[in-house]
Amino acid sequence: MALVTQFLSGIRGHVLNQEDEQLAQWLRVEPPVPDHYHRLAAELRSAFPAKSDALSKLIDNCLPEEDEVQEGKGSPWPGFNSFMKEYMEYWRDVDFDDAVKLHSLLSNLLNSCANALANPTYGSMLLKTSMSISKSLCKLVMILMKQPHLLAQIHQGASGEEGERKSIAETAADILQKIFTSCLMDRTSKRFDPPKGKKVGVYTFANLILRLFISSHKSRLAVQMLTNIDNIGPPLSLYPASQRVTYLYHLGRLWYNCNHFMRAQTCFSEAYLQCPPAFLSHRRIILSYLIPTNLLLGRFPSAQLLSRPEAAGIGEIFLPICRAIKTGDFVSYYDAMERARPWLEAKGVYWALFENCKTLVWRSLTRKTFMLTYTPGQGSTKKAPVLDLEDVVTVATYVQRRLEGWTPAPRHPGHRTNGQTNSMFMRAVANSADASLRATTLMPPPGGKARELPMDGGLIFGNEPVTLENVRGIVVGLVAMGLLNGFVSYSQNKFAIEGTKRAGGNPVAAGWPEVWKVGLERLSEGPDGEGVDIRRVPAWVKGTNGR
Amino acid sequence: MASSSAQSKPDSKATDNKAEQTQATQQKPAAADMDHDEFEDFKVEDWPEEETEAAQNGGETRHLWEESWDDDDTTEDFSAQLREELKKVNESKRR
Repeated sequence: MALVTQFLSGIRGHVLNQEDEQLAQWLRVEPPVPDHYHRLAAELRSAFPAKSDALSKLIDNCLPEEDEVQEGKGSPWPGFNSFMKEYMEYWRDVDFDDAVKLHSLLSNLLNSCANALANPTYGSMLLKTSMSISKSLCKLVMILMKQPHLLAQIHQGASGEEGERKSIAETAADILQKIFTSCLMDRTSKRFDPPKGKKVGVYTFANLILRLFISSHKSRLAVQMLTNIDNIGPPLSLYPASQRVTYLYHLGRLWYNCNHFMRAQTCFSEAYLQCPPAFLSHRRIILSYLIPTNLLLGRFPSAQLLSRPEAAGIGEIFLPICRAIKTGDFVSYYDAMERARPWLEAKGVYWALFENCKTLVWRSLTRKTFMLTYTPGQGSTKKAPVLDLEDVVTVATYVQRRLEGWTPAPRHPGHRTNGQTNSMFMRAVANSADASLRATTLMPPPGGKARELPMDGGLIFGNEPVTLENVRGIVVGLVAMGLLNGFVSYSQNKFAIEGTKRAGGNPVAAGWPEVWKVGLERLSEGPDGEGVDIRRVPAWVKGTNGR
Repeated sequence: MASSSAQSKPDSKATDNKAEQTQATQQKPAAADMDHDEFEDFKVEDWPEEETEAAQNGGETRHLWEESWDDDDTTEDFSAQLREELKKVNESKRR
């Protein structure tokens, strides 16, 4: 009994003096802890069994609400005493070898802490305590999410509730959002003034919540919180650098997951720049998102960037992809993406990158086709710069066949015998198939059976043949995105380039403007064409000085 | 009470850490192989802007990126293959 009373008496002293740091030091939940926490637990187990109100009575006796509180001093309040009861029960019942039970106890404790923190007069003295309990719960949730058998046990325990069952990350985020809201709504300081009181915790809790949502693939659940930050949140620049960098990294991940790549780029870029080179692993993680995001916007990493220590090995992932995009070679592109897939999937960036960069490969392929087919002529024979869409069908069909296992025919005479066998086979195929098969430099796949492609693997989808209609649709799409500059003539099936004169007489430069610049121009125009500041990222609050 | 943390016994620390350590060991290989470490809390809370790249050259980052990467080389292998294919297909159309 003595230790419990002694502990509560010590807590009272810190409450009366509003010593938030000491309270957090005392109200520990995570091992390693000094031995007297275990002795406290043993005493609680022997003297205060569950279903007895003895513990509540003792706490109320040891932590009475003060009648008269002097300026600068504090007092226990009912919410605090409920939290202390939960805290004592935590130590009485905890078993650190039983992660499922630990999760339940820690969740209840944090919930109780959130309620106590909400007290407008004294709640802020629990800010640091709530931070440390929140971090412990998040750490546990992240560990549990990787342990399916333990997750199943937790879900079993939670069954019987109506509606969709929430994941443990969502449940934890719900509790954290209560605390976050208390912090955001704190009126101790004005919005654009240096934060005081609970407002100090805004970005610490935002970071924990974002980490949970991102890890559980529920980015969209963060929208409400981000809207609140955008509307009434304090400027990020008023917070310590570690919180700023972490928040910008998480915000970038969020925007990436919502396909807002320019916003994601702005966040990752600033997170990277504000993170000193000494934090190598943090810089590396940020970089592993910054690079694919830039790729999607049409910027490739420079040799200088890839030679930095935090980029070690990253070039091997991205350079083959960049090369394939440059040449417009889908065979190399699929190959490079497949090789990089495990790494990119582990980062959660694979699908957006894989699908969206196909657009860039198409851009390069049409560009290359134009360069291979256009002859300007001179004087009166000077031709208008146009790309024949039939030629794009030809090259796209060639690439599609390569993907399906067709191989280039040997070019030198030494291979004639083999070539004859194949040409005989080809004739047989050609006699019974499309006339276009008669004219190609490729040989059919061994056995004549095309490789079966996944739905997202071919140029259109799977083994779907490339047609003029498909190609026209793709080129029209590229024009609509601004990646091709000109117009498509449906009657002639040609893409006519505009602005050659403005581009110094260079039709390639006129027809295929640089992707990054197109993106900047398009985004700056805004959805209504009235012009927007693309550096403004929702939920990244800047101060009145623009920082 | 918290100030007496130095009195804690190493043995009890070890027991307390057991569950955590087991969990950590189970996850390590995957993390190491796949290079997907979590974005850990920073060990330092704050640092001056002078220590960052943001303070240098006004945060200019152009040298980190290639914006003009278009490939004008039509002599490489892929272009050569396409050229031949275009030639053959277009010849067959004229026949």
